[in-house]
Amino acid sequence: MKYFDLHIHSAFSGGQSSLEQLASTAKELGYSGICFAEYFQSEVQLKKLKEEITKVKDKINIEIYLGFEARNPKELSKLVERRRMFDILLVQGGDLGMNRIACETPEVDIITHPENNRTDSGLNHVLVKSAAKNNVAIEVNFREILLGTKRTRSMIMKNIAQSIKLAKKYHAPVILCSGAISHFELRDPMILTSMANQLGMELNEAENSISKVPERIIKQSEERKSDKWIMPGVVVK
Amino acid sequence: MGVSKMIQQEKLKILPPILREKERYISFRIISEETIVYSDLESSIWQTLLEFYGERGLSEMSMWLVKNLYNEVKKIGVIRCNNKSVSKVIAGLGLITRLGEGRVNFKIEKVSGTIRGLRL
Repeated sequence: MKYFDLHIHSAFSGGQSSLEQLASTAKELGYSGICFAEYFQSEVQLKKLKEEITKVKDKINIEIYLGFEARNPKELSKLVERRRMFDILLVQGGDLGMNRIACETPEVDIITHPENNRTDSGLNHVLVKSAAKNNVAIEVNFREILLGTKRTRSMIMKNIAQSIKLAKKYHAPVILCSGAISHFELRDPMILTSMANQLGMELNEAENSISKVPERIIKQSEERKSDKWIMPGVVVK
Repeated sequence: MGVSKMIQQEKLKILPPILREKERYISFRIISEETIVYSDLESSIWQTLLEFYGERGLSEMSMWLVKNLYNEVKKIGVIRCNNKSVSKVIAGLGLITRLGEGRVNFKIEKVSGTIRGLRL
């Protein structure tokens, strides 16, 4: 089975490890592909990142995708305009407004840590329904659990479990990511699936969330890059 | 009666297979630049799992780090637990960030019902 981690921050956007360190550790841990989720600055930065990724890809035999994480609506609209220039579009969740925009935008692939800095899960039945309709994957971020301690960690886990429960009910896709900013924060796929199992997912569902769901996102992104693609389900022949 | 004979007599008779707990062995490799000493690994695993699952939760796992199977050079170790707690133990291992002075990462190599099945 192929495993993917689609939310990793490199030194390009506040991370602590280089692209090469992250890619080689991911390969050692058994991943087939990873995605560097960076913060968008300019098209020059985008081109530079693409060049760097090609270099690392050639050196370390692993699939590497380029993604951007939007932190506010302005950034999101900029990224939606340039959607075909990169692979994965992530939206930083946590703020209720951003959670809503992310779930309602079909161009978005992943909403990251919707429970970030909140006392609730950040998602309700309405948002999860629209995430399911627009095929926006709800992220289970391992770093949130890893860095939390005692009371905070238990709150985060409760909120993630709530999101998983809603996603299961409304058939919204769930994706497991490490959210790593350093190569020491990357985790074995088996660790991520086991943690998701502790949070209320069945083991086979958890495995799908780290293999089939990201694979579907990547496939969709490749289709989107073609000139024949108009919108989900509409292709010019 | 000699002391050794008395000790032998005090040993419990082994339970029949149907009453025995089903065991699983998890082999793992530590990804780290530093050398990891067994005592550091043992205390860190116990501490993390106790903190995460509590004393009651850990008592249900029958978790044990197998001392004689830890290879300090290859950084490979084996944890024994019961068949119902495999994912709990693996999830707990993921929460360990530091061992001794260095930062670490765990790679789960194999889960098997016997030590022989791990092919160490």
